[in-house]
Amino acid sequence: MDQLVTLLKRAMPFQMVPDDTLKAIAGLAKYESHAQGDVIYHIGDYADDIYIVSSGSVQHTLGIGTQATHLDKTMRSGDVFGWAAVLENQRSRLAKTVCLERTELIRINGEDLINLFKASPALGDVVMSRFATMINKEFTLPEAVAAQVPHFTQAQATMATMATGLTLTMFRVSQWLKSPKPYLMLIGFSILLGIWYFTVEVWKLPRFEDMPGLTVVVKELFSKDPTYGLSLYTPEYYQHVWVSLRRIGIAFFLATILGVPLGLFLGWSKTFREYVFPVFETLRPIPILAWVPLAILMFSGSETPVIYLTFLASFFATALNTMLGVETIDESYSRAASCLGASKWQTFREVIVPGAMPFIFTGLQISIGVAWFSLVAGEMVSGQFGLGYVINTSYTMVRYPTIVIGMVTLGAVGYTTSAMVRMAGDYMMQWRVRELALGGR
Amino acid sequence: MSAVLQRSAMSEKVALQGAIRIEDVVKIYDPEGAAVMAVDHCSLDIPAGEICMIVGPSGCGKTTLLNAIAGFHSITSGKIYLDDKLLCGPGKPMAEPGSDRIVVFQNGALFPWKTNLENVAFGPLMQGKMGKKEIYEKARSMMADAGLSGTEHNYPGEVSSGLRRRVEIVRALMNNPKVLLFDEPYRALDSLTKSVMHEALLEIYYKNKVTIFFITHDLEEAIFLGHRLVIMTSRPCKPKKILDIDIPHPRDYSVLTSPRFRELMDETIEVVHEEAKKAFAAGEKEG
Repeated sequence: MDQLVTLLKRAMPFQMVPDDTLKAIAGLAKYESHAQGDVIYHIGDYADDIYIVSSGSVQHTLGIGTQATHLDKTMRSGDVFGWAAVLENQRSRLAKTVCLERTELIRINGEDLINLFKASPALGDVVMSRFATMINKEFTLPEAVAAQVPHFTQAQATMATMATGLTLTMFRVSQWLKSPKPYLMLIGFSILLGIWYFTVEVWKLPRFEDMPGLTVVVKELFSKDPTYGLSLYTPEYYQHVWVSLRRIGIAFFLATILGVPLGLFLGWSKTFREYVFPVFETLRPIPILAWVPLAILMFSGSETPVIYLTFLASFFATALNTMLGVETIDESYSRAASCLGASKWQTFREVIVPGAMPFIFTGLQISIGVAWFSLVAGEMVSGQFGLGYVINTSYTMVRYPTIVIGMVTLGAVGYTTSAMVRMAGDYMMQWRVRELALGGR
Repeated sequence: MSAVLQRSAMSEKVALQGAIRIEDVVKIYDPEGAAVMAVDHCSLDIPAGEICMIVGPSGCGKTTLLNAIAGFHSITSGKIYLDDKLLCGPGKPMAEPGSDRIVVFQNGALFPWKTNLENVAFGPLMQGKMGKKEIYEKARSMMADAGLSGTEHNYPGEVSSGLRRRVEIVRALMNNPKVLLFDEPYRALDSLTKSVMHEALLEIYYKNKVTIFFITHDLEEAIFLGHRLVIMTSRPCKPKKILDIDIPHPRDYSVLTSPRFRELMDETIEVVHEEAKKAFAAGEKEG
């Protein structure tokens, strides 16, 4: 079977076909062996099967009147002949074929092959257009013959070849549910929650007795009348989430629209980098908390300092990764672009920006993570709403279960934003998604 | 004799543009004060429409020469002409890269973020010489000619490496270049794919007749494809032996088993081996 698949892969029309379909095609194939001088078919015979040479060689002589420039052709291992079997109106042989030596062939029924492709018209179209090319180029037959290769409906074909982000996501979700991953994930969560439950509420380990237990937190979270004033049923909960999200949104947006261009220019222009990078590298390692006093002095109110702190952390992560992204772009891409007549600015737009895209999105993933980190730090120090504020005030006011509600919410919201950034990346980098999908990742 | 006749007859029929003249070119790298001579007074005349194969040991400076022609690197002294136009020379150490000389890179440089069709259309789109619709029409038909129908909307990362190389050559040909510069493009391919690529390249060449400057390590490839074989010395690089390959074109893979092919292999393999040994002894880095 594997041998068959390898042989099919070498045959020109099937080169683009994925392995599982090749296996299906291989299922249609029959092996046969011929001695030297055996005639496989004559001109005018009914064409039912196509043939692929496995070993040996076959002389292929086209009949007069087919207007080919080269009438004779020797077929060797991996060559395909007998393609009249996939033509639409021409089910008779146009050539005579004779084995020149001991030859092994595989034969595939043309009708079966076409039926197989009806299930995946996109693929069928690729294979059939390659058949047409082969007939036209290798057998130097006129286009009219090649044009008889069947076409699968174009609309269907384009739909299938252009896997959009959504269908891809749906496919991934269904694959994920079929894999053991979700169940392993459940086990992981159960272990975490189990440890929490047993250490705090069952064993009551020393120093753990004051901690809010799993059941207390869950009850509080789903209570319509929460003891400490915050649960899924109170509007305040959503107000805190909303305020935090809004701050993250503004800060992340600003960090992206400023950080990405800065990083691109840092990576692209040596001169610009000489000016800016030393300053950038001096400011970057300063911990966000060290900025708190200055942020409060610089900005009035309670909102802007928090946004500023959040922005700052995001900005550095984004800019640095974007710069690294530009640096890792293979020089031959820019060289190729200049060969092909692209100006400096065109090269920037067509090569540097898309080439750095994978790194930019890695940067944005990191950026959204540190954004939440500095947001909570900022909200604990100043600010009147937000999840960080909830955690901090709940601590001072001894509302311990509320602290955990704040933490769990941060985890969930943080995960969601991170996933959204990843999805945006997949959407913008279809080329990468498809490349990685082919690599089985 | 007949082979020579055939060649001259062919080059008359062929494009009369795209002759490269390399005159006394020297390239000295000076990375850390220690001047390294990469190219040493190298002169070479490549007539328009010739496939000129450059063979030499790893790191001998072949690629430096190619980069100088393409306009990626400067030269220290000497001149390089394309037809009668001075590409680089005194007062102009570096040539301008341009779509009359297109490089096909060692590891391939199709943009992975563009589909094959977008890659092929890239040159004319950037130059803005034709309408968008026309460009895509031409790109489609050129891809079809090269047997690439059905892969237009694939990204380069989705197709085989052999197919990628073909797309890259079609991308170059879209610009009607005078010269194609190949920098060991088939180095990473397995020998079976390579043989398919060679025949495909010749087929494209017979249709388009551009000058081809082709760097390789592979002597068999060099003799199979070229009109002429230039064997370079180990660093610093200059022609050591120039050999006419008098096997008539068009060629196909049956040439490989012909006695003349074997003779030419025997004639050159020793020279190449000698230089390779020198390069190995000098411990030069591949490049």
